[in-house]
Amino acid sequence: MNKEQFLKQLNASLTRLSLEEREDILQDYEEYFEIGMEEGKSEQEISKSLGNPKQISKELMATYHLGQVEQTTSAGNVMRAVWAVIGLGFFNLVIVLGPFIALIGVVIAGWVSAIGFILAPLGALFNLVLGNFQLFDLFFALGLCGIGIFIAMGMFVATSALTKGFIRYLKFNASLVKGGLKND
Amino acid sequence: MNVQFKKGVLELCVLVLLDKQDRYGYELVQKISDQIEISEGSVYPLLRRLTKEEYFTTYLQESTEGPPRKYYTLTEKGRRYLQELLMEWNEFSNGVNQLIKEGVNQ
Repeated sequence: MNKEQFLKQLNASLTRLSLEEREDILQDYEEYFEIGMEEGKSEQEISKSLGNPKQISKELMATYHLGQVEQTTSAGNVMRAVWAVIGLGFFNLVIVLGPFIALIGVVIAGWVSAIGFILAPLGALFNLVLGNFQLFDLFFALGLCGIGIFIAMGMFVATSALTKGFIRYLKFNASLVKGGLKND
Repeated sequence: MNVQFKKGVLELCVLVLLDKQDRYGYELVQKISDQIEISEGSVYPLLRRLTKEEYFTTYLQESTEGPPRKYYTLTEKGRRYLQELLMEWNEFSNGVNQLIKEGVNQ
């Protein structure tokens, strides 16, 4: 086998490697041939001492596959991470968005009723304009207004407490997800 | 000699040869094949593997004649690995020598 045949055979059995790596390998053997020939050896002698190119490629491919295993593990890690992120999206849609909407509903309902109650005396005044005024309505409306103010005060406290609680819940949620990723 | 056994020893030989000076592939192969019968082609896959494992770094150097040569340099990691292998080898060869001595003397 001469140099060209040797390199050709070697190249043919390394097709699974990247072009760059293959060229690098062939470069090594080319260098080996050139130096050997400078020392007066024939191409045949050199290729004989190098051994079977198929055997050489087997050894090279074994190294390549070993490297691949490491890469696929890290690719698997990436996939797991991506999956976790996607899963996080679905998870949060139910676990976070659900309570969020419920809380918003409660807070809005509380504030609307408080404002409604506070504005009750306006209704009584409206009746006054219509000439339909009754003293009972005014007192009743003033009573509602008082209740409305209490509700508003309560809602003020409740809103800030709920906001804080919800933020804490979000943080817990995030740490839960992070913790899950760490265990991978 | 057993192929797997030779491969392990080959690793040690390459590391030892690079301990004191940088060498190029052809030089390494010749040095080893002067002493041990090897299939010379299998040294390059070994060199590539050990380079990938960061035991060596490589650089190209022009030579007065012919193409530039790829030189191999032992890294710190490679040096530590060499010490490990040397210890293992000494233990192993001492053990085998001891057994041979006892065997022959019987």
